[in-house]
Amino acid sequence: MRKVWVIVALMALAVFGFAVKGDPTTLVDLTISEPDTMDPHYAYDTASGEVIYNVYENLIAYNGESVTDFVPRLATKWEVLDGGKTYKFYIRKGVKFHLGGDLTPEDVEYSFERGLIFDPAGGPMWMLWEALFGIDSLEGFVEEKFGVSYSDMIDENGEAKPEYKDKLVSVYTDYIDPAIEVEGDAVVFHLVRPFAPFMAILAQGSSWSAVLDKEWAVEIGCWDGKADTWWKYHDIQKEKSPLYAVANGTGPYKLVEWDRTQQKVTLEANENYWREPAKIKKVVIWGVDEWATRRALFEKGDGDVCYVPAQFLSQIEGKEGIEIIKGLPTISVTALHFNWSIKPDSKYIGSGKLDGEGIPPDFFSDEHVRKAFSYAFNYDAMILQVLRGLGKRVPYALPEGLIGYNPDLPMYEFNLLKAREEFKKAFNGELWKKGFKMTLLYNTGNSARQTAAEMLKFYIEQLNPKFKIEVRGVQWPTYLDTYRKGYLPAFIIGWLADYPDPHNFIFTYYHSNGVYGHSQGENYEKFVTTPLEELGGKTLNQVIEEAVAETDPAKRQEMYESVAKVVYSRALGMALYQPLGLRVHRSWLKGWYHNPMRPGDDYYAYSIEF
Amino acid sequence: MTAYIIRRLLLLPLVLFGITLIVFGLFQMLGPDKLLSAYINPNLAEKLSPEEMERFKDKYGLNDPLIVRYGKWISSVLRGDLGWSLVGKEPVASAMAKRIPFTVELALYALVPVVGVGIWLGVAAAVRHNSPVDHFIRIFAIVGWSFPDFVFGLFVLMIFYSVLGWFPPGNMSLWAEEIFKSSAFKHITGLPSIDALLNGQFGVFLDCLRHLVGPILTISWLWWAYLLRITRSSMLEVLRKDYVRTARAKGLDERTVINKHARRNAMIPVTTVAGAMIIGLLSGTVIVEAVFNRTGIGSFVATAATQLDYASVMGGVLFYSTILVLGNLIIDILYAIIDPRIRLT
Repeated sequence: MRKVWVIVALMALAVFGFAVKGDPTTLVDLTISEPDTMDPHYAYDTASGEVIYNVYENLIAYNGESVTDFVPRLATKWEVLDGGKTYKFYIRKGVKFHLGGDLTPEDVEYSFERGLIFDPAGGPMWMLWEALFGIDSLEGFVEEKFGVSYSDMIDENGEAKPEYKDKLVSVYTDYIDPAIEVEGDAVVFHLVRPFAPFMAILAQGSSWSAVLDKEWAVEIGCWDGKADTWWKYHDIQKEKSPLYAVANGTGPYKLVEWDRTQQKVTLEANENYWREPAKIKKVVIWGVDEWATRRALFEKGDGDVCYVPAQFLSQIEGKEGIEIIKGLPTISVTALHFNWSIKPDSKYIGSGKLDGEGIPPDFFSDEHVRKAFSYAFNYDAMILQVLRGLGKRVPYALPEGLIGYNPDLPMYEFNLLKAREEFKKAFNGELWKKGFKMTLLYNTGNSARQTAAEMLKFYIEQLNPKFKIEVRGVQWPTYLDTYRKGYLPAFIIGWLADYPDPHNFIFTYYHSNGVYGHSQGENYEKFVTTPLEELGGKTLNQVIEEAVAETDPAKRQEMYESVAKVVYSRALGMALYQPLGLRVHRSWLKGWYHNPMRPGDDYYAYSIEF
Repeated sequence: MTAYIIRRLLLLPLVLFGITLIVFGLFQMLGPDKLLSAYINPNLAEKLSPEEMERFKDKYGLNDPLIVRYGKWISSVLRGDLGWSLVGKEPVASAMAKRIPFTVELALYALVPVVGVGIWLGVAAAVRHNSPVDHFIRIFAIVGWSFPDFVFGLFVLMIFYSVLGWFPPGNMSLWAEEIFKSSAFKHITGLPSIDALLNGQFGVFLDCLRHLVGPILTISWLWWAYLLRITRSSMLEVLRKDYVRTARAKGLDERTVINKHARRNAMIPVTTVAGAMIIGLLSGTVIVEAVFNRTGIGSFVATAATQLDYASVMGGVLFYSTILVLGNLIIDILYAIIDPRIRLT
């Protein structure tokens, strides 16, 4: 019996005694999310974008922290010609892909064309479609050109129907192919009209503009480059893409493994990189979903970078060896918008009439109602209490740092007296007499949305006992679906920049074809397509469209400010806040810098100094 | 008995068919819009236009009626294809095949401390009925039983990892993983620690063990209570039986009385509970896996369920039902072995 105990004790000693010390060439990044795909033309989330950022490269990159200055990457220099309709990029020589291929201008041409052809539903390629062709999808383009829907041109086996085959071939030969051309050492992009955000769409961090090795891509089964096969490579399922789990870029890191079981991505420094090889030789991006576990690993020094949700920040604040950077600007906003024409069969408008038991479908078409809501919200308390200070007010749905932002633009203050006045004027005083009843939804788990809805309920119900707002939580798919279909009276929704340009926000929220503008009902559409005196007889839609084609930043600033003034005077929506970011890493990590457009970390810039 | 076993095994496909139909049906009741949410990342979904949503639904066949979808699913299962796991980001079968070894490994190592020590504690308490030892064991057990598992798991993690640095979370350390995934490492049984031994990688073996101690400790203490209470009461009952008195009266020493006469007879109810525990361990312990960041089958199916990833959930359901049917069959066989009076017919 005693022998057994000795063996147990020895084994225990061996087990406990085994510990390997930290290593300055290996970095462990503790995070929560896992990449969605390694295909640059499908990836549209930051976790995938982070890996692609470090493995692939684009023609140009942002200059350090700037989101408006660009530096060469795979292009050595560029020219903007034709008043902003043509972009010419000279391709760097002597660059090798990880698997040995040489970078050529043909690789660049192929990469963009492959992306345009693939154009997966819900993917990022709409940006290049919009930039190059002024329409946001391949299928939309085909339908507009030929008046037949794309799905009707393809049979059940994914082949082009004989009667449409020539038309489909011409989509490539007449449009896609001529839009991106190789000219000697350069690649030229032809845009249908000047498009101010184009450079930002190309810059590194935009996985959709990453450069692939053509020979390798064709070899592993991507589009073969032919005009009469492309539809077989259009909108294939995520996992069917040959690039789903492999990567071969020119970047400072090689993808060694994407371990989907352990949510771990392992990168290794590319020793043949065209710049100096990276100082950190091995990077492990590890998804540890449970906060307490992640925190334990990080505090113990088994992680160098850690994702910390704002509500847990206090748990690690003040600990030695941990660096915390707060208040980082993000390029995103969260706003509350009104539905001007709620679907009459909505469950959330009570009786659907102005009788005290509900609201009429055009409730928010009344300017006074919108103004009353805008005054009845405690913006500062929201930022302080819900975001723990990690947010700031913005005049309209445009974050600080972009053209069109101006802190001096008018903003609604929290003022219940003014809210009362506006409610009294609404519907010629009828509303104040009869009262109303409506429901605001939030998606469960989203505390910002929940608090905003509860805050409106709290203040508005105080104004008049006949005002009733019910606040209810639903699952996010329900939330999304109901607001999309026009059943929600009002919705709170955020937007994270795809590219750092005001168009990405202003169009989204205020243009009637924008993703959110579209959900604000027919009356809203009528309003933005009606000429306004304050816009010099132009419609709001027109101003937004003109602003994106304008290349002079000063003029653009002026145009967006005029939009902001209409947003204020007509209370088109309530911009609640611009979230501010949080960064936590071990103090031995050197070289970190913030760039709000970069997905995740730029490991190439780092070193570890114990 | 052979006929009995064959009969029970023949029931398995029927059970699987019934369960999968029910679970699949429940999933489909969510409707295409909610099911779609599994395919797109929530942040991204807010950016999709309604037309794109429709394109998505058609692409994944979410608008088809239940019967068509179930038919598609079952026919691909019969062809050996369990579908694509959205949570695992690879085919369901291979996603599960990669996670099951970690669950089986944990179950295997936890078996001895959980069941062995649990029964031993129960017998010890029963034999020393109402003595301080009995009281101590019972209090110890009740404390364990009353603890929420994630709290206790976090305690273990805090003490043994954060403070002492002995038992880190995860499957194995980075350096061990590198060896484990190298081409020279032969995967024979699929269980990482056993394979490490077979490859002569003693360091990797110890590292695997090091990562197993925390979860085992947590599971053990939580489950001892249950097992020892069953053992204790069943043992107490047996100890009062006439034949035990007879055994003592004929002059047998106490050890023989307890080990040979009493304990074996007290084991029938214990087998039921222990069997259920082993089935539970093999199905994966969601909370323990989450706290210790182990990639087992439990947390996989749990995540799949919250993300409405029906293909993975269905894979899990198939696995669980099989384990349950086989596990119960083994328990029945064990009854017959422990108590020859029980006949399986």
